[in-house]
Amino acid sequence: MKFIIFAGTPGSGKTSIIKSIIQELKNDFKLFFAKFDCLQTLDDEKIAKEYKIPAVKKLAGELCPDHYTALEIPKIIKENKDKDIIILETAGLCLRCSPYVEEGLGINVLDITSGDPSRYGPILTEADVVAISKGDLISQAEREIFRAKVLKVNPKAKITEVNGLTGEGAFDIAEFIKESLAVKSEKLTLKHSMPSAICGYCYGNRIIDETESRKRFLAGKELKSLVPNLNCGKCGYKSCNEFIRAVLDGKAQKEKCPFIKKEI
Amino acid sequence: MNKEITKITILPGINKLGEKENFKKIDIKKGEVVAIVGHTGAGKSQLLYDIERLAQKDTKSKRKILVNDEIPDKELRFNPKRKLIASLAQSMNFFTDMAVGDFLKLHLESRGKKSKKGLIEEVIKEANKITGEAISSKMNLLNLSGGQSRALMVSDVANISVSPIVLIDEIENAGIKKEEAIKILVEEGKIILIVTHDPSLALNTDKRIIIKNGGIVDVLNTSLKEKGIAHYLNWIESFGLDIREKIRKGKKIENVEIYCEPIKSKK
Repeated sequence: MKFIIFAGTPGSGKTSIIKSIIQELKNDFKLFFAKFDCLQTLDDEKIAKEYKIPAVKKLAGELCPDHYTALEIPKIIKENKDKDIIILETAGLCLRCSPYVEEGLGINVLDITSGDPSRYGPILTEADVVAISKGDLISQAEREIFRAKVLKVNPKAKITEVNGLTGEGAFDIAEFIKESLAVKSEKLTLKHSMPSAICGYCYGNRIIDETESRKRFLAGKELKSLVPNLNCGKCGYKSCNEFIRAVLDGKAQKEKCPFIKKEI
Repeated sequence: MNKEITKITILPGINKLGEKENFKKIDIKKGEVVAIVGHTGAGKSQLLYDIERLAQKDTKSKRKILVNDEIPDKELRFNPKRKLIASLAQSMNFFTDMAVGDFLKLHLESRGKKSKKGLIEEVIKEANKITGEAISSKMNLLNLSGGQSRALMVSDVANISVSPIVLIDEIENAGIKKEEAIKILVEEGKIILIVTHDPSLALNTDKRIIIKNGGIVDVLNTSLKEKGIAHYLNWIESFGLDIREKIRKGKKIENVEIYCEPIKSKK
């Protein structure tokens, strides 16, 4: 089974290009499509109807949609072991999280009119494939400059230009998907840890697994009760949460915090 | 492979109905201008896509593209840094908030080239041959008119882009001297493909490829007569362009002087 994640800001053309890719692949492979979003989406229903492939929607609601994606990935894999390719579309709201996994293929659909690529985080820098969209809206010179800037922040990326309206580029991405490696075990690893917030992943867990995440969360919670939560910076980190992550990652000693409570 | 591309060859594939295309091969040489004509949805984009990808029977059309009479190697086909086709699509404006001169310098740098002395001035000079309203290096890109932007885009592609093939898509309503624009691209030794319905452009070429149902159905060499007609049509248009400029400058147009220029035969 191959596991493909599409990430990109809303309106970048992810869904349109995914449709063209599904069209390229659906006759030769058993596909499954999962759409993540925050509040509402009908894309899963449209795709299921149009291409006759199973699809599901996952709405994050009050949770961070990318953290939620990581929480849901194991379930999606478990329920779709009979499929050849799972295509997952993220909500695309965060440039920092990008729940790409080491074992699968991460594709960033990048809107060429959305500004300087250097301000993008892992959503671009960790992508295996960068699909540049809307190139027809700007000049050749600007396209070439943009391309050079993308390669500067992600030199390993395979770059291709896509057009959601005409389907241009779908063929190339379908080829990249065919060439990509299959997922071997159920346990996937995030390419990049997520920013600090409130769950095990927030405390820097990268193994997508309920037990692992809970373990990390409890360890984080315990430390959280021992630090002053003043974000004073005396430990060398900007915030207590960052410090806690560093301790859990083995990068810092907890004694570095001058105010840490002695454990009872 | 850093060899110069002097010629590409299209070998037949199949049309949308699965029938073999009825031609032996189509050669396009450096400095040639080729029009691609056909109805919307006929498959013009597929042909351009095949050329861009240097298709080897691995696209929908099953066409094969040769470069300098040889099967191109993988490096040329898949290296993202070597983009074969530069395109002048419908976009009429720049997005970047920057002075013309600085922008051209940035473009040069992004191609890994050092700014050759005088090159930027040359790009602007050539652009000014195509537009009636002069561009200067200190102007902001965002303030350029549609015609100025278009002229600068053409000159930039001719002089700075390394892509050996230039695709021109529907350049008709740009308010620029089209004939001059094509001339500048040809002088820089590019292979030029024009997708167009505009008669003065389609006839101002060396040949035209006619596409129907996803397949190439005919290739016509442009006759001397047709080139003459193209020149005549261009003359009428440039005449309109002059009046347009005068109107923009606030002049009154109460009589027009029509003069006729004899047709210059090419080469």
